[in-house]
Amino acid sequence: MSDTTTTADTKADSREEGVYRGTVEQKAIIRLVKVGRTYWRGKEKIEVLKDLDLTINEGAFEALMGPSGSGKSTLLNLIAGLDSPNAGTITVGGVDLTGMSDAQRARWRSNNVGFVFQTYNLLPVLTALQNVELPLLLTRLSASERKKRAQTALRIVGLEDRMSHYPRQLSGGQEQRVTIARAIVSDPKIIVADEPTGDLDRENANEILNLLERLNNEFKKTIVMVTHDPAAAERAHHQRHLDKGKLT
Amino acid sequence: MKYARIAVKNVLRNKFRTIMTVAGITFALIAFLAVRTVVTSWEGAVDYAAKDRLGTRHKVTFVMQLPRKYVDDIRNVPGVKAATWANWFGAKNPNNEKEFFANMAVDVPTFLEVYDEIKLDPDEIAAWKSNKRGAIIGDVLARKFGWKVGQKITLMGTIFPGDWEFEISGIYQATARSVDRSSLFFHWEYLNDSLRPEDKDHVGWVASRVDDPKKVPQIAKTIDKMFDERDTQTVTMSEKAMQQSFLGMFSTILKALNVVSVVILLIMMLIIGNTIAMGVRERTNEYGMMRAIGFQPGHIAGFVLGESAFVGLLGGAIGLGLGVMFVNFGIGAFLEENMGGMFPFFRVAPVTAMIAVGGAVVLGAVAGLLPATRAARLDVVQSIRKIG
Repeated sequence: MSDTTTTADTKADSREEGVYRGTVEQKAIIRLVKVGRTYWRGKEKIEVLKDLDLTINEGAFEALMGPSGSGKSTLLNLIAGLDSPNAGTITVGGVDLTGMSDAQRARWRSNNVGFVFQTYNLLPVLTALQNVELPLLLTRLSASERKKRAQTALRIVGLEDRMSHYPRQLSGGQEQRVTIARAIVSDPKIIVADEPTGDLDRENANEILNLLERLNNEFKKTIVMVTHDPAAAERAHHQRHLDKGKLT
Repeated sequence: MKYARIAVKNVLRNKFRTIMTVAGITFALIAFLAVRTVVTSWEGAVDYAAKDRLGTRHKVTFVMQLPRKYVDDIRNVPGVKAATWANWFGAKNPNNEKEFFANMAVDVPTFLEVYDEIKLDPDEIAAWKSNKRGAIIGDVLARKFGWKVGQKITLMGTIFPGDWEFEISGIYQATARSVDRSSLFFHWEYLNDSLRPEDKDHVGWVASRVDDPKKVPQIAKTIDKMFDERDTQTVTMSEKAMQQSFLGMFSTILKALNVVSVVILLIMMLIIGNTIAMGVRERTNEYGMMRAIGFQPGHIAGFVLGESAFVGLLGGAIGLGLGVMFVNFGIGAFLEENMGGMFPFFRVAPVTAMIAVGGAVVLGAVAGLLPATRAARLDVVQSIRKIG
């Protein structure tokens, strides 16, 4: 049940969604309609997102920017199925996430979303190969098949010679590449990246961005990236700005 | 099994903490095994008692004696196969006064009929029977004092003052754990002949064998009834009942030891629980990441429980190994030699070993319940936030 939009539609929503490159017909993979997310801090109500509409097409590489507290990470968590909204609907890949239970969302995430975090968050007791294999433990694949797929993912990110290394034996850039390999090993349609270059120097940041671009171009992954870094945002096809819970 | 690797690797993550925790469990288990073995060994002495043997003593107290002629009366009771008697002698080895050992004057011709678990070479039996000053000693006592067959020894009397000379006629071994292997037995006549006329022909207690263990209560009743109208009344009970009444004096100690063993296990549980809880707190972000990529709360709880059970198993296995060595070959050997009457067989019982290791694993898992529940209930978004 994927929505289909045309460039014309996209242009019509350009104030909220920006303009896509090219003129080919594109399918919406992520659609948020009138989404609201509120948190409570004691008795204080904090409205992080309000009446937010957003459509992201399949194969897009989107950057979400905005000041701290603008709701970028909250929006990313909602898209990734980590959190659920207080209002509105979220449809990803034709699946309505709004009514799902926590367990259902967890299952959905394992098949459809790859995660890249700012601080890599690899398990220090596992090798690079074992870390990449981690999401596949949730599948029924045999041990040899899991290993084969993890090796392939590590080859894609250029770490075939670091498979048996532990995270402490890797540089920051290499650790982030392992995280990316872990994100793609189960072949998800969407990759969400929260400040993927936040802890890296420029050279390593560029390598990671090159890798994300390659995943987008060659492997047709839809990428949604939260970043503070304008240089990183430049690499996305499209930038969206959030301020006080609204897309500007 | 594919998840077990993560639980096991998490255990080995902080090696120093794991070593300290396992060491804590190990010491707790050694203490548990030692305490439980005291209880089982003590209680086990009752089970080792011969089921077809009766003891008859003075109704008032063990210290008061019975007329020697009572033995013949008991022998005439239907169902009694054989009867013998003994007197507590209570002498000491003058070369080692602090070392306690049981020594008794017994009726040599009938003693081995009633106590057939005592094994001696026929030559040694013959030598003992023919020598009024002959004595037989258990192999443990012989080892302890370095006494040998043919050696002349002198004991220092306490109840019966004076120096008492004996010649070791034989060294016995036991075919049942009911027999203390660190005792000395000598001729009752040797003692009786040395007493004043008014003290002669009295025995400490009578031990008899019956033809059917099922008749023990009935025969005991018959014996006591027989002496009811005489000047000296008796109390007759099975050897097992005698042991139990002896044990009854220590029932409070046994109860206290049982409580102590439970407390030791609880302390062990707290040690594991604390270690696991610390690990879970430190790994909040990792569990958040795992939840994000699709692991369910049950998976996370499973990792934590697996980890705590593995710590319990590790500590349990090491504790059992060291505990068995300490108990069986350390204090066990000492107690069997020095307190063989009370602890004839001081070894870790298989059931105690199973409780120790099983308890360590189960209590390990139980200790992990709270941290596991907390880890499973972690809010994914909050945990992810901690990553940054």
